Amino acid sequence: MKRLYFVITMFMVMAMVLGACATPTPETIIQTVEVPKEVIQTVEVPVEVIKTVEVQVTAEPSTETFPRNETLYFNGQQWGSVVCWNPYSSNCNNAMAITAQDSSRVTMFETPYLYNMLDGKVYPLLANGDYTWNDAHTEITFKIKPAAHWSDGTPVTADDVAYTWASNIKYETNAGVNYKDYIDSITAVDPQTVLVKSKLDANGKTVNPLMVAAYLSSNYVIQKAWTQTLEARTGGDATAFKADAAEDVVWSGPYHKFFADDTKVVYVRDDNYWGQDASMWGKLPAPKYLAHVIYKDNAAGSVALAQGEVDVSQQFNSNVQILWLNYGLPVSTYLPDPPYGIGASLPTAFYNQKSYGLDQLAVRKAIAIAVDYDTIIANAMTNQSATFAQVPRSLMNPTPGEQALYDHAAVADLQWTGKDIEGAKKLLDDAGIKDTDGDGWREYNGKKLSYVATCPNGWSDWQAAIEVVAAAGKDIGIEITTNYPEWAVYQTVVTDWQALPDTGYDIFMMWSDGAGPTQPWGRIRHLISSEFAETQNNWNGNWGGYKNPAADEIIQAIPGETDPAKLKAAYTDLVKIYLTDIPSFTLMYRPQSFHAVNESVWTGFPHQDDGTNPPVPPLDLTDGWSIAGLYNLTLVNP
Amino acid sequence: MKHTIQQVFRSGKFLFGFIVFMTLLLITIVYPLIIRNAPLQIIGQGTFFPPGIYVNVYDSIGSPPYTLNLTDAAANRIASKLSNEDRLAMQEWLVADGISESQIDISDTKTLLDQWENNYDPTLNIAGMTLAKKRYYQRLNASLKGILSTEGAIIATNNPQTGALDETDTVTQSDYVNINQVPNVRVLPLGTDNFGRDVLTELVSALATSLKIGFVAGTVATLIGLTLGLLAGYIGGLVDDIIMFITNIFTIIPTFVLLILISYSIGQEHRGAFTIAVVIGLTSWVWTTRAVRAQVVSLRNRDHVNLSKLSGHSIVHIIVADILPYIASYVVMALILQISSGILAEAGLSILGLGPKTTEVPTLGLMMNWAMIYQAHVLGKWWAYFPVIVTIALITFSMNLMNTGLDQVFNPALRD
Amino acid sequence: MKGYRKYFLNKMVWFLITLVCAFILNFILPRLMPGDPVAVITQRVTQGMQSQSGVQAVYNQYAELFGTKKPMLEQFILYMKNVAQGNFGISFSQYPRPVADIIASSIWWTVCLQFPAIIVGWLIGNTLGALAAYLKKGFDKVLMPVSIFVSNFPAFGMAVILLVIFGVGLKWFPTSGGYGFDMIPNVSWKFMWSVIVHYQLPFWSIVLIAIGGQAIGMRSMSIYELNADYVKYSRFMGIKDRKIIGYVFRNAMLPQVTGLALSIGTMVGGALVAEIIFSYPGLGFTMLNGVMGQDYPLISAATLIVTLMVLSATFLIEILYGFIDPRIKAAQSD
Repeated sequence: MKRLYFVITMFMVMAMVLGACATPTPETIIQTVEVPKEVIQTVEVPVEVIKTVEVQVTAEPSTETFPRNETLYFNGQQWGSVVCWNPYSSNCNNAMAITAQDSSRVTMFETPYLYNMLDGKVYPLLANGDYTWNDAHTEITFKIKPAAHWSDGTPVTADDVAYTWASNIKYETNAGVNYKDYIDSITAVDPQTVLVKSKLDANGKTVNPLMVAAYLSSNYVIQKAWTQTLEARTGGDATAFKADAAEDVVWSGPYHKFFADDTKVVYVRDDNYWGQDASMWGKLPAPKYLAHVIYKDNAAGSVALAQGEVDVSQQFNSNVQILWLNYGLPVSTYLPDPPYGIGASLPTAFYNQKSYGLDQLAVRKAIAIAVDYDTIIANAMTNQSATFAQVPRSLMNPTPGEQALYDHAAVADLQWTGKDIEGAKKLLDDAGIKDTDGDGWREYNGKKLSYVATCPNGWSDWQAAIEVVAAAGKDIGIEITTNYPEWAVYQTVVTDWQALPDTGYDIFMMWSDGAGPTQPWGRIRHLISSEFAETQNNWNGNWGGYKNPAADEIIQAIPGETDPAKLKAAYTDLVKIYLTDIPSFTLMYRPQSFHAVNESVWTGFPHQDDGTNPPVPPLDLTDGWSIAGLYNLTLVNP
Repeated sequence: MKHTIQQVFRSGKFLFGFIVFMTLLLITIVYPLIIRNAPLQIIGQGTFFPPGIYVNVYDSIGSPPYTLNLTDAAANRIASKLSNEDRLAMQEWLVADGISESQIDISDTKTLLDQWENNYDPTLNIAGMTLAKKRYYQRLNASLKGILSTEGAIIATNNPQTGALDETDTVTQSDYVNINQVPNVRVLPLGTDNFGRDVLTELVSALATSLKIGFVAGTVATLIGLTLGLLAGYIGGLVDDIIMFITNIFTIIPTFVLLILISYSIGQEHRGAFTIAVVIGLTSWVWTTRAVRAQVVSLRNRDHVNLSKLSGHSIVHIIVADILPYIASYVVMALILQISSGILAEAGLSILGLGPKTTEVPTLGLMMNWAMIYQAHVLGKWWAYFPVIVTIALITFSMNLMNTGLDQVFNPALRD
Repeated sequence: MKGYRKYFLNKMVWFLITLVCAFILNFILPRLMPGDPVAVITQRVTQGMQSQSGVQAVYNQYAELFGTKKPMLEQFILYMKNVAQGNFGISFSQYPRPVADIIASSIWWTVCLQFPAIIVGWLIGNTLGALAAYLKKGFDKVLMPVSIFVSNFPAFGMAVILLVIFGVGLKWFPTSGGYGFDMIPNVSWKFMWSVIVHYQLPFWSIVLIAIGGQAIGMRSMSIYELNADYVKYSRFMGIKDRKIIGYVFRNAMLPQVTGLALSIGTMVGGALVAEIIFSYPGLGFTMLNGVMGQDYPLISAATLIVTLMVLSATFLIEILYGFIDPRIKAAQSD
């Protein structure tokens, strides 16, 4: 009997071991792999006759491995699993395919024009030639390339552009919401010509020509037929429309879905891609597959970059220079020396104008000039930012284009480089804000000045920067403590003006705009225009609630202004206002995207003075004009 | 009692563990008295300075120089700028440029450098050379300037009146300074971390905090466990059933998940070190309860207890006087284990980003967390994370060793 | 067998009651967290939307969809009904992906990482501990301190050190992922091999610590048993050592078996660290993200599954225990 029990125990243990040891049955894993359905859309669309061109149906993944010399590996774009493939949604978490922004990611879906942040110009992609304003500067016309066609073989027409716009408006997508105040309508004059009418003000002038033009390089063109399928499927319900998983979407770009699960996303090249026509690139992009392994955090991604498992890295690799200086790895960034990349955006510390004492200019300026920015840049950004000695602070990013837009000499005495403890103390003393009760902290009108500096938890470079800000407070006698709420909480508070004053967010960090066709105007507007001050659900900017009518006037005037001299004067005035009132202050310069590459398999990546014309920006070979980089890649060992 | 303590300290394992633990504790107490630097002060501009002795260059120029004529000085200087790999790389470049390999002798520095200077062209595009390699050669070229020169360096200051540079001093290649005579020398035995803070000072402070957290967590857990276990074990019946039921629930729900949930709910603002400790304590009392209960159950039918019951003593009196002393040894061991697991739990939480606030006090887990975030392990900056791991291991090791020693004292059967 | 009936009935009743309470708790706990997940989703979806009424409409829509406006009791009943049908709801943070889908894709990795690790650690650890108790002298003197040191090594410490030494330094093992970075799952030897190779470092980072812990426990129990009277008696009687050992270790193993059930409970938490450091797919990381994203359905479902696993394991073990250890049956009548 006892032997029996023993045997039973052993048996059960064995069973558990065997049961658990069995490698996961492949079905369970492949369960998440969608076999791309054959795209036969003819049923629901009576209007267009779809040529039954057989679509390249990528069969069941038959490759065991992706050939290393046909695949380009990325990291830093995709965090977490891909949720959907719907270009109308802002929620797909499908970074490599759907990221519509100033330099839009055009791997799967395409925009009419591509913005190049290095020279500030736009180049035609789906469009044919430059766009033209009419004489009254109220309408834009551009043509569509005859060669452009969708993945199902049908040509891209002006109708698609028009219908995309109509859908954006009707279903209140991000694109629609952001541009509806500037664009009145987009219509197809003929199948190859698009007419964009801007919204006019009371005088019949375009409200904002910058924004109208920006639409052309920032938003995707989506096929009308597929959109109609989607509408039929979701019955006109906006939420369902935007939440649809869209596995059957039709695209015009060079890459599309090959495989997606919790650990990686892979895009495969469409060898029928229209862009190989002589009117565009003349050839296909070099890598056959674009793959993005989903890493859990930055550290895992950096290890992979060092190992050569990642070719293009868009994440913040702390001290990336050590990889080639100390380890001799073939890793490089756009620039060989600090700041290693092109700064484009200005992460800013905002002052909550309603906090006690922060309405006093002396306090705001004292804190701002006391912060040790060099330490922030050296420690938090590990030197991947220009210093304020190299690029004096203003409202413009370090790119030569923007720097040329204001008069440096005129504001030189307003600019500061930081760590000016004595100067800060003097400012406060002169304003009468002293330590009256001997506790080491200054008081204003009898009440101790005490602030909370905050940024989202887990954003390590921001957290390190806020630490330095808090340390500065200590040096000048103002108590600043730090707090790092979770991003989910942080975003709810910052964007809600009603709640903000009571939550103790006195000095809080948020981003600014990067490089784009409407910059620096867009950035300035988002930083200091009172249209956004004290509003709800505010994702635009000016979260501190700063109001300055003089600044607003200039901001209103700039988009309609075309005289370069007047523009320069206007921008200089804005910089002056910003540096005098200090409603917020820039903490560092941040690249548009981080861009580090490993040349163990591929070479020919964009770098400074690489001789490309137009110059290819370091935007990970996927954004805006940077996609030209994909056509310049060659193998190290062919 | 005295006899027990004597026995305890005679146990080899306990003694060893005790010594290690006490050493660590003493370090946390004595170190801040000697080195009075604030642990969270940012002293480095830049991240992860390697361990070493940092000598102020400006002051060493001003310190009295001594002339030492060492025969290997020149060779050392050249070797530090031009390693063997660099020489091979130069040879590779020269060969690719067209010079025959037989003409290149990498051990002859002068000739090699001459050849290099005459032939190197940064704009030359060699087929198959990656950008990284090209930049490497550019850097190499820049660093080789003046490598063979035997002249010293000239120190000059800016003349405020003329705006030109006035020569003030010369430093020859045979000048040495005595570190003891340089006024500003900072020893950083463990370098700095990503914030630019002195790792060793921070580590000692973090150790103190972590010990405190562990202690509080352990005490809380043991107290709860002890009380519940005693009640459940002795009183039995419905009380026992209820307590066992609650214990089961806590066993079922994974404690780590519970910890994460509670930590997250509290929010960053209230997540002080003490709060975290209490939370950890509140979630880890389970196995203590079970163990205590088991012991009490076996004790409650003993003669002396029955005697007390007959004598009419109150329940509390019986528990305190008759049962507690017998499980005291076990409780002490449980306390030690709880402290050690409390420290580990805090470290685990901090790694996930749910630990105490970063800026008030450093803890061992937080130091690990930041080191990982700034990718110290990828970049080979071992001083940022390895000492932390060793410290944690040492603490838990010493506590467990003490525990084992105690075990052997109280359970003679286990003595070897 | 009569005593068994009472014993089993007892266990069964407790099992069911605990199950019900655990179920309720799993539902309530995440919802006790402060913050409104619907607000978070709304913020994400309505980024840039200016009209207040528009945002409010979206908010209401999502609140309807997720049923967060209904009273707790109604939500609970709805939840129970859905779970009975296997529908765990739709994830908040990965909307519109269903929770069952998220969990199904990650749970296999966690189970296959942890389960063998626990079992292997248990087996090897117990064997080593038993051997140490039996052989004494040299083997014991070495094993004991080493086991103590390793068993209390922090899990992340072990993971980082293994990663740095074997992954980054020696490059013997890959540093991240569940399978090759250049592969997609398919049925082939290459893929299986890749899975196994990627499995090594996370596996060993857990097993090494488990071995240490088990070895110590088993050693103590074995020593107890080896010094028991019946062993001495049997020896004097001349019974072969090998036969005695069989009895000894069977007795010593009993508490260890209970420990095994409990380890399963810590499975998910233990895997969490390994998952993050090695970028290994699994339930732990999914759950952490769920907590950070206030994703009630995901957290509830994940904790429910873990709870069920532990409960079942405990229940099974206790039944098994009843068969193995006759003292239990006797003690039940106490």
